Amino acid sequence: MLKLSNLKLSKEWILVVVLAVLFIFMSIFAPGFTDSYNLTNMLFQIPELGILSLGMMAVIITAGIDLSITYLAALIGVIIATCLTSGMPIGLSIIIGVITALAGGLINGFFVAYIGVSPILVTLGTMTFFKGVVTLITKGNSISGFPEVYGAIGNNAILGIPLPLILFGAVALIAWYLLNKTVWGRNVYMTGNNPIATMFSGINTKRVLIYVYLFSALMAAVAAIIMTSRYNSAKVDLGSSYLMQSLAVAVLGGANISGGYGKVIGIVLATAIFQVLSSGLNLIGISSMIINILIGVVLLSVLMINFFSSKWESVGKQKTI
Amino acid sequence: MKKITQQKEFGIGLVVIILGVILTVMSPAFFTTGNILDILKANSVLGILAVGMTLVIITGGIDNSVAAMTAAVTVVISKLVVVMGSGTLSLLTVFVIAILVGACFGLINGILIAVTKIPPIVTSLGTMTIISGITLYISNGEYVNSSMLPAKFIAFADYKIGGVSILIFIFLITAIFTWFLLKYLTVGRDILSFGGNPTSAMRVGINTTKVQIFVYTYMGLLAGIAGIVQTAYNKGVDPNGFSGFELTVIAAVVLGGANIMGGSGSILGTLLGTLLLGIMQNGLILAKINTFWQEVFVGLIILIAVSYEVLKRKREEMKLSKVEIEV
Amino acid sequence: MSQSILEVREMSKTYPGVQALKKVQLEVREGEVHALIGENGAGKSTLIKILAGVEHADEGSVFLFEGKPANIQKPIDATLKGISIIYQDLSLFPNLSVAENICKGRKSNKRGFGMVNWNEMRAVAKKTLAELGFDIDVDVPLERLSIAKQQLVAIARAIAFEAKLIIMDEPTSSLSSSEVELLYKVIEDLKRKNISILFISHKMEELFTVADRFTVLRDGEFVGTFKKQELNEDKLISLMVGRALEVVEREETVQGKEMLEIKGLSKKGNFKDIEFTLHQGEVVSITGLVGSGRTELAHAIFGLERYESGSITLDGEVLNIKSSEQAVKKGIAYVPESRQKEGLVLQQSIVKNISLSILKKLTNKFGSIQEQKELTLANKYISTLDIRPNIPFLNTGNMSGGNQQKVVIAKWLSTSPKVLIVDEPTNGIDIGAKREIHKLLRRLANQGMAILVISSDLSEVLAVSDRILVMRKGRIAGELPHHEANQEKIMNLAVLGTHLEEKLPVGSESKGAVNL
Repeated sequence: MLKLSNLKLSKEWILVVVLAVLFIFMSIFAPGFTDSYNLTNMLFQIPELGILSLGMMAVIITAGIDLSITYLAALIGVIIATCLTSGMPIGLSIIIGVITALAGGLINGFFVAYIGVSPILVTLGTMTFFKGVVTLITKGNSISGFPEVYGAIGNNAILGIPLPLILFGAVALIAWYLLNKTVWGRNVYMTGNNPIATMFSGINTKRVLIYVYLFSALMAAVAAIIMTSRYNSAKVDLGSSYLMQSLAVAVLGGANISGGYGKVIGIVLATAIFQVLSSGLNLIGISSMIINILIGVVLLSVLMINFFSSKWESVGKQKTI
Repeated sequence: MKKITQQKEFGIGLVVIILGVILTVMSPAFFTTGNILDILKANSVLGILAVGMTLVIITGGIDNSVAAMTAAVTVVISKLVVVMGSGTLSLLTVFVIAILVGACFGLINGILIAVTKIPPIVTSLGTMTIISGITLYISNGEYVNSSMLPAKFIAFADYKIGGVSILIFIFLITAIFTWFLLKYLTVGRDILSFGGNPTSAMRVGINTTKVQIFVYTYMGLLAGIAGIVQTAYNKGVDPNGFSGFELTVIAAVVLGGANIMGGSGSILGTLLGTLLLGIMQNGLILAKINTFWQEVFVGLIILIAVSYEVLKRKREEMKLSKVEIEV
Repeated sequence: MSQSILEVREMSKTYPGVQALKKVQLEVREGEVHALIGENGAGKSTLIKILAGVEHADEGSVFLFEGKPANIQKPIDATLKGISIIYQDLSLFPNLSVAENICKGRKSNKRGFGMVNWNEMRAVAKKTLAELGFDIDVDVPLERLSIAKQQLVAIARAIAFEAKLIIMDEPTSSLSSSEVELLYKVIEDLKRKNISILFISHKMEELFTVADRFTVLRDGEFVGTFKKQELNEDKLISLMVGRALEVVEREETVQGKEMLEIKGLSKKGNFKDIEFTLHQGEVVSITGLVGSGRTELAHAIFGLERYESGSITLDGEVLNIKSSEQAVKKGIAYVPESRQKEGLVLQQSIVKNISLSILKKLTNKFGSIQEQKELTLANKYISTLDIRPNIPFLNTGNMSGGNQQKVVIAKWLSTSPKVLIVDEPTNGIDIGAKREIHKLLRRLANQGMAILVISSDLSEVLAVSDRILVMRKGRIAGELPHHEANQEKIMNLAVLGTHLEEKLPVGSESKGAVNL
């Protein structure tokens, strides 16, 4: 059934178009953009930001925000690094890292769901707390020197596909499945739109929220593993620059900051847009600082377009009634 | 006596006093004029920004771009003082420009937030990214040290009145003026009204758009002042040195008892919140506790403080009876 | 004869899809207390909003204040002209002092350089409070005062603005009886000062205590204006309700076994000693005035709020429910009071709303939602309940009230509940859809469901119930079987707490008559 209204581009299709246009633009104007070296490089860089953004998005869908996600990642990274350097097997180290993640997510979830503190304050507190614990453990230094096998996670490729990218793909698929196919995922969206009505429908919204923060903590764990492996070190600012970026990616990817909307595919596309933009501009010779400015401009423009289009839509609606 | 305990600032005030007493007992170096002045001077920038953030939070908003604005202003100052020569007048001009630059940043925030109704948290995140990007681009991320600053500026930075650094005076004057603004100026009352009940504010004829624009512009203006103080305190400029500082500012305001949902907040509370963070850092050093503990403590204190507020409010709501039952 | 201060004629207000006011008239005289009354949805609040400048009336409406066209654009215009409103929620600033709440918006508060003239404000506030004889400290933040005192502050605010007409919207809804007495005294004082009052209330007893004249609205239309002497409570009720009572044809249902038994249920400040039973195939209504504890009771049964003592037995099992999740598991369903805030997720589709409560049962062994089953379920209810438009993926926010309510009911029917509680099921729903929902409730009862209806709409209660429980001030004041019940009897229980002894003759009033 093809209706005129179906032809209107959804948020995600707009992202596809933007990505395609940017890619073509960069292929033409950025020297060496389509070189296999550059392309693989980009593919190695996408996953960390993408995975953190997925966690951020899940929290945003419930009308929350997770400011602690990158410092939790740093904490997980540092814990894993400490385990590895003390000679623990890789598997066990990762398990301990994941347990750390779950504990962190549980703290966030507890304060948000059960105490009822607004997410921004909770995660502001836990962010400072996690950062403090990391500094305590590392004494401000970095921990490095992991087994070679561990380094493979972040640096090797299978059939030319970087391992981190495969991990990102797997994580994105799982996130898509959880959010779109499971009861929990459905309840995440419903809670984000209207927590009261959802609770009045017999849904345990507190549990839904706890799992959301656990989910974002697990995303932090996966990102932490990739980062520590790629850099072969862990310190307090591990991935800290990704905090604002992941928020920007989530918003650019269509997640609604007031809750209820956000798609995995949007995040994947938005991450790719970020990467194409930054590495393309880099090759053109524009400084990374300008690229940061552009990221802010893009973020605000997307928000303004959303604002004006929804305003325009509601005006249109009123006229038809 | 009852009146004092009823004050919202009572809790945080008590914590500050207890902490002060503990530190005095633990370390004789704590309760000395020199040390107290050091604490005040070291936290002037935090205090000035927190005072501005208090107004923003009273309106139910938030400004993530404060640190970026301050850093931008420090870079502007470092560029200007070199160009403008070393007269007193030119130094003053630099300061005025610095403050205006800050106010312009704030105005942009204000217009975006008030007119487009995009949630302040994301709007200011966007402007933060842009402002800090521009700052880094212009400064190239390079550090400016005291040898590169004119002597006149260094003299200003070291200037003392009655043994008290001018930076502390700037901080206190800012705080007192903002307190005055909140209490005695129409715009201050309108800010409180808007935060307390936006619908009623509209009904009594307050231009709520103007109130919001004012609040963010004022925040920017204070970021300009904070930029001056920061440059003077450091006698140098580190364009990167401020990232993440906005969260400390928010923490100081929240610790001071302001409600993140809007409506309540006081300058006195914010000053106490700033002081608490400052004393804690100072105390950890004096008590020879590893400063790495500081953020762990701050994080815990934020969590406890906000949870306490929420639980208190919930309990009050529970107590409220909905139906008058006939006996 | 005193002059009229407010005159409204031919006033209409059309919202998209609804005509809230149809050529309404209202005349308030100097120094009188004028009651504006009508059922929910009769148009009272729309009329007040127009008088307050929050809404604007349609073209052709006449709105005179002190004999001149009022020309009110913004709320503050109304206040400055002398029309002050005391909203039900008071609309004050909890974080500001009493003095400021009283004076906010006055020009004379300001002096040069954008300064606030605190002395002037405090003086005006003190003087006004003294004039009214209220003993309230002007420097205290409003939130520290009791609701009753806040109300007095709101009145003082009106006086400080030299209001000539004060509109009070349900002013006693959160006051205790001694506080209400105080309010009456204040109103007497205001009358003596030649200030007019437009009084909106649901409570008959207080209307007859304070009001001089009554204007009755029904379904957005003007019914009549009457002097107090011409009315009694019964007559007023019949004017409000109208004679044309809708009759829902009903088959006799077969009452089954006892499904829900409530014993001695109490919660401090909410309800006390509630006892009743509900059988399969039976519709029992709980009615009573707003604030009599009905919704609180429903919330307690549904696990949204705890109760302190008493027991709830469902199908022979004593329940100890702590959450809505457990209530749903046990077979209790609750259609909440506010369809838009509590009933539906407006941004989501009909399908997702209908399946919300039983989603777990629609998954396959991998925990994946079977969308085909979900759609089938939704389509089943779209057709059996005749939900329109019949587009399963339409967002519920784009539907009419009646159809929204059907979606909420569909959500609960899909859980096959043992007990269905519906709270104000037809609030804000047009007459046609209302009848449909009434029929649906009867049909469900016939199929053996036990239904508890909570409603303040008397015609609804009479139309659907087998038995009617009347609540008053947190207790059940009495029970009426449906064949004995009528509106007068219910109102008597709701207002006075006593059974009506003998039937008083009720004269019928022709619509539109103005008896002066």
